[in-house]
Amino acid sequence: MTLFLTALIAGLAVGSVYGLIALSYTVVFNSTSIFNIAQGDLMMFGVLAAYFCLDRWHLGQLVTLLVIIAVVVSLSLIEERVAVRPFVKRPVVGLGWFIATLAFSLILETVASIIYGQNPVVPIPGAFGNGTVTIAGVNVATKFILAFATMIVVMVALEVFYKRTWLGTAMRGVAEDREVAALRGIDALRISRLAFVIAGVVTALAAFVVAPIVSANVGVGLTYGLKGFIALAIGGFGSLRGCVIGGLLLGVAEQMFDLYVNANYEILAALILVLIVLAVRPAGLFGTRAVREV
Amino acid sequence: MSVDIVDIRDRLGLDSRAWVRWAVPAVLIIVLYLVPQIGGSGSFRLGEYEEVLSFLIIAVALNIAMGYAGQYILGITAVFAVGAYGAILAAKYHPHGIGLVAMCIIGGVVGAVGGLIIGLPALRVGGFYLALVSLFAALAIPTVAQQWGLVGADTGIPLYAVPGFAPEINGEELYFIVVSLVLLATLFSWALVHSRVGHRFVALHTSQQLATSIGIRSYRTQLLAILISSTMAGLAGGIYVYSQQFFAPGSSSVQFAVLLLAGMTIGGMGTITGPLIGSVIILGINQFFTSFQQYNGIVFGVLLLVFAVFLPNGLMARVAVLSERLGINPPRKPRIPAGRPAAAFAGGAAGGAASGVAGGAAGGAAAVAAAPEPTAATAMTEKPAARLPSWPPVLGANDASPLVVEGAKRSFGGVTAVDDMDLTITRGQVHGLIGSNGSGKTTLLNLISRFYSLDAGQIRIGSTRLDNQRPHVVARAGVARTFQSPKLMLRETALENVIPAVELRVRCTGAESILRLPRGIRTNRQARTEALEILEALGLQHVIDQKASALPHGTRRLVELARAIALRPSFVLLDEPAAGLSPVELEMVAEVCQNLAGSGVGVLLIEHNVPMVLSIADTVTCLHQGRRLFQGTPAELRADTSVASVFLGIDEPLEASS
Repeated sequence: MTLFLTALIAGLAVGSVYGLIALSYTVVFNSTSIFNIAQGDLMMFGVLAAYFCLDRWHLGQLVTLLVIIAVVVSLSLIEERVAVRPFVKRPVVGLGWFIATLAFSLILETVASIIYGQNPVVPIPGAFGNGTVTIAGVNVATKFILAFATMIVVMVALEVFYKRTWLGTAMRGVAEDREVAALRGIDALRISRLAFVIAGVVTALAAFVVAPIVSANVGVGLTYGLKGFIALAIGGFGSLRGCVIGGLLLGVAEQMFDLYVNANYEILAALILVLIVLAVRPAGLFGTRAVREV
Repeated sequence: MSVDIVDIRDRLGLDSRAWVRWAVPAVLIIVLYLVPQIGGSGSFRLGEYEEVLSFLIIAVALNIAMGYAGQYILGITAVFAVGAYGAILAAKYHPHGIGLVAMCIIGGVVGAVGGLIIGLPALRVGGFYLALVSLFAALAIPTVAQQWGLVGADTGIPLYAVPGFAPEINGEELYFIVVSLVLLATLFSWALVHSRVGHRFVALHTSQQLATSIGIRSYRTQLLAILISSTMAGLAGGIYVYSQQFFAPGSSSVQFAVLLLAGMTIGGMGTITGPLIGSVIILGINQFFTSFQQYNGIVFGVLLLVFAVFLPNGLMARVAVLSERLGINPPRKPRIPAGRPAAAFAGGAAGGAASGVAGGAAGGAAAVAAAPEPTAATAMTEKPAARLPSWPPVLGANDASPLVVEGAKRSFGGVTAVDDMDLTITRGQVHGLIGSNGSGKTTLLNLISRFYSLDAGQIRIGSTRLDNQRPHVVARAGVARTFQSPKLMLRETALENVIPAVELRVRCTGAESILRLPRGIRTNRQARTEALEILEALGLQHVIDQKASALPHGTRRLVELARAIALRPSFVLLDEPAAGLSPVELEMVAEVCQNLAGSGVGVLLIEHNVPMVLSIADTVTCLHQGRRLFQGTPAELRADTSVASVFLGIDEPLEASS
C-alpha cells in the first residue's frame, strides 16, 4: 500500500509538470492556432538555467526562478519572431509552422547539448530543500508538493484570465477568427507575442519545479515536450482542465506501469494510453473542440 | 533575368531543351549504378552506400504520405525500426536463415501493422496529432528496444554473427539490387501520384471539404496513405538489415526522423525527386562534416527554418521554375482541341452585364425591384448558338425522388442560423434560394452536404436519409456542390481539378490505376477525356493545362462548376456561382443551370443576383433570419408583399413598386 501511495504521489508530481507543458501549448494554440513543438526544449533550457544558477553559481531560489523566467521568455520571444510570426501573418495553411517550430526545437537542442556536454546534470536541490512532509503516514517530498501546487495555481489563474478579463477573451478570439478580431481592434501579432510570453512563464515554472525532480539532460526537452502533448491529447484539446487531468493521469499511469508492469518500458505506458484514448474518445476526456477541419 | 536567359537561348539557336528533362535523370541513374566504380567498392563502403539507399526509400515513402497526402507521419522511423526488427528477428530465428525477398516482405508487413497501430487512432483527430503521436512512437521504440533482451537491448542484433544466416547476395550485386529497389520505389511513387489514388491524396491534402464534396472518403484515404507509406518504410527496414546485417536502437533515433524531415523540406515535398535530392544533401552534410557533427543540428535547424518560412516548396520547385525559364521544361501551351470557341458566348454579354450589377444585400434587394424589366430577363434566357451536351444523372440516378429538407434547424452558440426549414429540390428543376447575407442560405447548403449536422429535422432523397450520413456519402448519393469561395487544388491544372470527380463514378480499383493494369489504363484515360469534355463544354478549353493558382476568380468558379458536373450528380447545390463573374461567364452559369435541369438534375441555386434567379428558377425560396419568408414561383415572388417589405421596407408587391 505504501508503495502504491508513493508511486501515486510521484506520478501526480511528474504529471503536474506534464500538465504545465500542456497548459503552455494551449495558451499558444488559443491565440495563434499553432502547436509549439519546441515548448519542451524551452523548458529544458529553463532546467539548464536552474543548474547554472543553483549548482555552479550558488544563487538563491528566488533569483534562480527569475533567471529561469527571463531565459525561457526571451527564447520564447525569439522563437515567436523567427519561427511563428511568419505563419501568423498569413493564414495558417498546411503544417509549415510545424516544421518551423520543430526546426527551432532542433536548434535549441543542439545548442543545449553543446552547453551541457554529454553528461546528465547532477540533481538540483528543490526550492524547499530535499525535505519531506508526512501526510497520512506517507512521506511526501516537498518538491512534489511544490510541483502539484504550482500547476493548480497556474491552471486557476489561466482560467480566471480567460474567463474574466477582456484581454483573456481577446486572446481566445484571435485564433477562432482573425478577421473579426482585427475588426475589434485586436492586433493578432501583439496577441501572438503575448501568448508566447505567458506560455514562456508557465514553461519556466514547469522548469523550476521539474529541475529538482529529474536529473536533467538534453533528452528532457523532447521527452517532456511530447509527453506534454500526450497529456493534452488525453485530457482534450482546448480545455485547461483537460490539460491538468490529462497530465496527472499520464504521470500516475507511468508510475503504476513502473510499479506493476516493468519500469524499463515506462515509455510504452504513455504510448498505449494515448492510442487507446484517441481510439475511444478522439476529442480526449474533456475535449469539446474538434481539431479536424470541417 | 528571364529576358537575358531567353535571349541567350535564342542566340544559341536552341528552341527547346526538353531533352534535358530526360538526359539529367538518365545520367544521374547511370552515375548511381557506377558509384562503386567511382567511390570504391570495399564491403565497408558498399555497406555505407546501401545504408544511404535504404534511407532514400524511407524518404520516398514519407513523401507519399506527407508531400502528397498531407499526412505528417513524421515518426516513420518508428515504422522503419519495427520493420527492421521484424525482418532481423525472422532471419535470426529461422533455422536456415531467410533471403532478401522474405526479409523485405516481413519488413513490409510488420511496418504496415506498425503504421496502422499509430495511424488508426491518430487519424481520428487528424491535423498535427499524427505528427506528434508518430514522433512519440519514434522516441518510444528505440527506448524500449534498449531494454529488451529479445532484440538485443542496447547492443542490438548482429546478424553477421548468426551461424544460420548466410546472405546469398552480396558485394556489388547487392548494391545493384538495392539501387534498383530505390528506383523502383521512386517509379512507384510517380505511378501512384499520377493515378486515381494520388489524385485523391492531393484533393484531401488541399481541403477535406473539397475532397468529401466529391465523394472521397477522408479517413479511409488518409489511412491508405499511411499504409502505403508504412509498408515501404518497413520494406526499407528489411533491406537495411539484409545489407547491414545489424540493427540496434541507435539505428533509428528520433534525430533520424528530424533529418528525414529536413531532407524532405529542403528537396521539396510533393515532388518526385525532391525528397531524394534533399536527403542526399542532408546525409552528405552529416557524413562530410563528421568532425563538426555536434554543430550539425544548428545547421539543419537553420536550413529547415529558412526553407519552412521562405521556400516552403523546396529546391525542386525552384528548379521547376528555373527550367521553365531555361526552356528545359517548356511552359504548358494551351491545347485547343476541336470544339466551340469561347467567342461563341459573347452574344449574351450585353444581357449579362445588365444583370451583373447585383451583389450584397442591398444590391440584391435593388435587383429584386429591377427584375421585371424585360431586357435583363429576356436577354438572360436567350440560348447561345451552340448547345451544351446533356448531363443526365449517373450518381443516384435510380431514385427519381426529390431531395427533401424537413423542419431543419441549426444553431451556432446562441444564434439560430436555420430554423424550421422546409425545402424540396425536384429533379429537373431549378430551385432558387435568395436572401440577405446571414439569412442562412449557406448554412442550409452545408446542412444538406453534411458539413454541419442538424439540431433537428430531416434531409432525405426518397426513403434514403442523408442527415445521419457523412459528407462523402451525400456526394456519392448524387449530391454535388460548389463553394462560396472556390476550393480548388491550386498546384494542379484545371483539368486535374476535374478528373478526381469523374474518377469517383468510373469503377476501377486503386491498384489497377496505380499499376496501369488494362482497366486502370482505360479508366485513367476515360476520366481524362470526360473531364476534358466538360471543361470544353464550359468554354474553358484555353485553361485546361494551366495551374488553378494562375486562373482568375471567375474561371475558378467555372472550373469548380465543371468539377461538380463531373460527378454527374442527381442534385447540384451551387453557392453563389455568379458572384464576381464577367457577363460572359454569368451567361454561361445561367445556361449551365438550365441545361442541368433539362438533363434531369435538381439544381439548388443560391444567388444574390436576383434577376438571374428569377429568370431561370422554377421555384424560389426566400430566407430571412434563418426562416423561410417566401416560397413560390418567380411570378408569385414578384407579386408578394412580404419579400418587398423585408428587403425594401415597403408594403406593396414588387410589381407595383417597380
